[in-house]
Amino acid sequence: MMRFRLTFVLGVALSPLAMGAVEETGAAIFKRLCAGCHGRAGQGVADKYDEPLQGERGVESLAKLIDRTMPDEHPEKLDAAGSRAVAEYIHGAFYSPQARAKNNPARREPARLTNRQFRESVADLIGSFLPPTPPAEGRGLLGEYFSSDGMNKKAKAAFGRVDLRMDFDFGEGAPQEGMKKEQFSIGWNGSLLVDHTGVYEFRIKTPNGARLYVNPDLRDGDKNSRDDSDAKRDVAMIDAWVSSGEQVREEKGAIFLLGGRRYPLRFDYFKYKDKRGSVTLEWKPPHGAWSVLAAPHIVPTSAPRVAVVATAFPADDGSTGFERGTSVSKAWHEATTKAAIEAAVEVSLRLGALAGTRSDVVKLKEFVAKFAARAFRRPLTDGQRELYVGRHFAEGVPPEVAVKRAVLAILKSPRFLFPELGAPDDHTAASRLALALWDSLPDAPLAEAAGKGELRTPGQLGAQAERMIHDPRAKAKIAEFFRHWLAVEFADDVTKDAAEFPGFDAALVADLRRSLELFVEGVVWGDASDWRQLLLAETIFLNERLAKFYGATPPVGEFDEVKFSPEQRAGIFTHPFLLSVFAYNKSSSPIHRGVFLTRNIMGRFLKPPPQAVEFKEEKFNPSLTMREKVTELTKKAACQSCHTTINPLGFSLEHYDAVGRWRETDGKKPVDAAADYTTPDGEVVKLRGARDLAQFTATSEDARRSFVRQMFQFLVKQAPASHGADTLQKLDKTFVESGTNIRKLAAEIAVAAALLPSPRPATASAR
Amino acid sequence: MITRRQFVRRLGLSAAVLPFLPALPSLGAPSKKPVQRIIFVFTPNGTVQPDFWLDAAGEFTAETKMKRILAPLDPFKSRMLMLKGLSNKIRGDGDGHMRGMSCLLTGIELFPGNIQGGSHSPAGWPKGLSIDQELRNHLQADAATRTRFGSLEIGVNVPNRADPWTRWSYAGPNQPLAPVSDPYDLFEKLYGRMKDRESLGSVLDEVSEDLRAVAAKLPAEEKAMLEKNATFVREMERELREDGGRRLRHAPPKLEQGVPVDNDGMPKVTAMQSELLVNAIANDMARVATLDFTNSVGQARMRWLGIDDGHHQLSHDADSNTASQEKLVKINTWFAEQLAALAKRLDAIPEPGGNGTMLDNTTILWTNELGKGNSHSLDNIPFVFVGGGLGFKRGRMEKYENEPHNRLWLSLAHAFGRDIKTFGNKDLSSGGPLALA
Repeated sequence: MMRFRLTFVLGVALSPLAMGAVEETGAAIFKRLCAGCHGRAGQGVADKYDEPLQGERGVESLAKLIDRTMPDEHPEKLDAAGSRAVAEYIHGAFYSPQARAKNNPARREPARLTNRQFRESVADLIGSFLPPTPPAEGRGLLGEYFSSDGMNKKAKAAFGRVDLRMDFDFGEGAPQEGMKKEQFSIGWNGSLLVDHTGVYEFRIKTPNGARLYVNPDLRDGDKNSRDDSDAKRDVAMIDAWVSSGEQVREEKGAIFLLGGRRYPLRFDYFKYKDKRGSVTLEWKPPHGAWSVLAAPHIVPTSAPRVAVVATAFPADDGSTGFERGTSVSKAWHEATTKAAIEAAVEVSLRLGALAGTRSDVVKLKEFVAKFAARAFRRPLTDGQRELYVGRHFAEGVPPEVAVKRAVLAILKSPRFLFPELGAPDDHTAASRLALALWDSLPDAPLAEAAGKGELRTPGQLGAQAERMIHDPRAKAKIAEFFRHWLAVEFADDVTKDAAEFPGFDAALVADLRRSLELFVEGVVWGDASDWRQLLLAETIFLNERLAKFYGATPPVGEFDEVKFSPEQRAGIFTHPFLLSVFAYNKSSSPIHRGVFLTRNIMGRFLKPPPQAVEFKEEKFNPSLTMREKVTELTKKAACQSCHTTINPLGFSLEHYDAVGRWRETDGKKPVDAAADYTTPDGEVVKLRGARDLAQFTATSEDARRSFVRQMFQFLVKQAPASHGADTLQKLDKTFVESGTNIRKLAAEIAVAAALLPSPRPATASAR
Repeated sequence: MITRRQFVRRLGLSAAVLPFLPALPSLGAPSKKPVQRIIFVFTPNGTVQPDFWLDAAGEFTAETKMKRILAPLDPFKSRMLMLKGLSNKIRGDGDGHMRGMSCLLTGIELFPGNIQGGSHSPAGWPKGLSIDQELRNHLQADAATRTRFGSLEIGVNVPNRADPWTRWSYAGPNQPLAPVSDPYDLFEKLYGRMKDRESLGSVLDEVSEDLRAVAAKLPAEEKAMLEKNATFVREMERELREDGGRRLRHAPPKLEQGVPVDNDGMPKVTAMQSELLVNAIANDMARVATLDFTNSVGQARMRWLGIDDGHHQLSHDADSNTASQEKLVKINTWFAEQLAALAKRLDAIPEPGGNGTMLDNTTILWTNELGKGNSHSLDNIPFVFVGGGLGFKRGRMEKYENEPHNRLWLSLAHAFGRDIKTFGNKDLSSGGPLALA
């Protein structure tokens, strides 16, 4: 409340020059005519107009609106000049984003780890004690083929090869000439590449025997496939080893995995005197459809097990448009506790590999101390060493139990959960870089640089960010950002009228999503990494199914980049996945498309609709076009304040039907995709369709800054202004200078977040 | 079998339905009908017949002394019933071991399949459910006898591969049930992550201590967030303190930590599994259980008895190899000791709301995949009952002339009030239940 009053006084005090003999100042007019309903500082008045006067209109546009509509029911009481004076006043005093930023300067909000940050941190913390996972090379799984001899499934090695698709039908024969037809076995080894975080389902179909291991902790006994072997091995995720007559059995399993990582995968198969031999391994990634597990998702070399925390967390606060860890709740506390137990169990089970010993107390203490320092992102003080390490190794406590308790305490410690506790120091810079680019902990080079005080200048930070951006974790996080920016993460249930759009099924939707992701990935990780390419590109990724559905020439490979007519399409705006997501079951939806464009692309603020209006197709004359129906539906003044922005943007995409196919007519009438879009500054832009929209967006400062802001928020989990009022402006300048290079922007954002006002010596950690 | 890790995975996937602090079973009102329970115990590789059976059938007298293998059960003589002359007559696909184990409780043939034994044609899973599951389903169908789990499948050193040599309990055709062979996993299944929660109590103390230290130096807003977090930590500490099993009739056992679940850990693992089993049924979590030691052709090396050879290897040695036969007697005697320990545990707990001890209402049935190891015979399979509750006449040894064991399962079903005419193979059920009352 206080700051509103202050602002008001300030506004008056700064206007003495306008206090001419006759002319009333904007402030005075506002006080006289407006404050009764809007409050003296535009904060709103209960039972009158309770929403704060905030928005993104420019003075011009605001003046016109006031002149036309205000005071409510008596707009004649205020002429154009008076309206303009009021507009200027409120714009500078509290209405505009700049005024709001000035009144309420942003600062970094205290934050805990987000759920993603917790999971990524634990995976890297435990993984940091194992050999690093080398980059994935090649695709497919390495298959080793054997002739069997009764119980001995691997009696005689026949041959080896890399298999690209886990779908085999050997009929009544053998995989290769010279092998026994009636008994043979195959062991496939390698790893699995996954893009998304979530539950992955798998299923085996075979009349023979098969076992699947995903992310196992491979042990010595695993290669032994004698039927009567009691060798210790990991438990199969799917065990379909025993056949039942000639029946083709189907066995399922599921596992939670983190996106952007590589997981060991083993698949064992054998046929023994069954009539026919065949085996298919299928998977269903999150948001995907069932399909045969195949390249490019499989790699012929193995990888160490990833420590995945599968505990379900309550959703992070996403109320400000990006997920951030700004609140704690009992549910979160319980989830982190359960997750800490899960991690402690993992550590104790793999202690031999992680610590190099299960019993040597000196070594185990050293392991726990390192574990704590990495988790806390800084060296331990003596007191912390005693509290988190020494105390657990008391007399009579078995070393394994001591380690488990220590790991629990470390992961429940505020020093792990709240990465920004206390005064910032060099290690804070390392932590911020790692969180911004990976959602994880600093790696060894970062920690070392922090220790040497080498993370203080933009140059030093930039060099680290440049190195880090090429890590798969950065790639995964940036991919997450694009899913967020393009609202793909919410598009879980895209279904269309089956009679109207035959062939638009779950598999096609999964392909569309993949097509969009491939496109974005191609632009972001291509040479130019140019943001404008996302908008202006003249290509799309299609596979056979998509090409058939959208009437293009089917490509040769799985997915291929296909050129389209630039008159008809442009970049992401016309990608059929987004067009389908933002559409009704049978028809297009200019409102959904328009809201997406207004918010996510133009970065404009939309208030919730003043009244709930449902679009009911059947209420309209069927001869009307969708554009006409929407115009009719939103014609009320109460709707217009937002729909003057939403509708034109949405209408510019009216050439695309509910599944994103190009159309010339809507019903019997030709499509009208021409629309006038008014910018926040009051400039009117004539759009004749998607290409115009894309070209306008590519040159729009608003759209570009909105992109920079959204990326900053997603990466840093804070508002850009919290790192200085001009952060956004500076980043935008560098973004433009780099040729709107997305990768460079991500690195610059991380640097901006990590750069401390006055670097403190590393020893500041002794707190 | 579920490993701890697999449990964790499952926990993660179904976390929504598994609250962190599981609701422990409440005290059920004692039922009017006498409680009936049964525990099936499996050991592999046949027995040493002359050192197992008494020389003559009939009622025991005061002078009756068990032969060497069963000597540990002497104290329970009056509550023992030995059935000699029952045979597993299931034929068809699969070798003697596979049928010995997988047709033992099911009494039905195996499907043709891809698992090749040491002889015979390859086979798969059995074509029907096992008697323990038949009884379980019967008890679970009635609210008065229904329990949280219905049945518990427990193992001791059962290998973690699933095939007809490692499974004996079946929920239906092609539906093997995996035993829990790791006592820590079993503990989690029964009581949730209580052990880890115990660790958590002391850990949370330390976290609180550090929270206070950190919070003291922070600006107000951050301090508020940490203090809010600290209240949750304190709440959880309190819940942990208050929850410690008070709603259970019998508190969960305190397991020794860090016991290796491997061959050499077998004696300790056996004791832990036995304790957990007794605790679970004392808390009425299940009234049917199976306890299997290793697997068909199990290769336990009982070094703690001074025997370095694998059990199955020894069982192939000829009768004339007295050294091996002596070792086999020792091995089987060790199993009998474990059985006696189980019976003793049950006998130490008074039957809630009833007379006598829990053993008086619990039948332990010890059986084997084979009659005799070196002949792979499925005839004369050991069936020894200890305990009570089924209304069978005890304190005796009954002798049959090579009767199919399907008839015994019919007797059990009838004793539980499940009036079925056949179980498993119909032809082998002819004659109906054996008269054991």
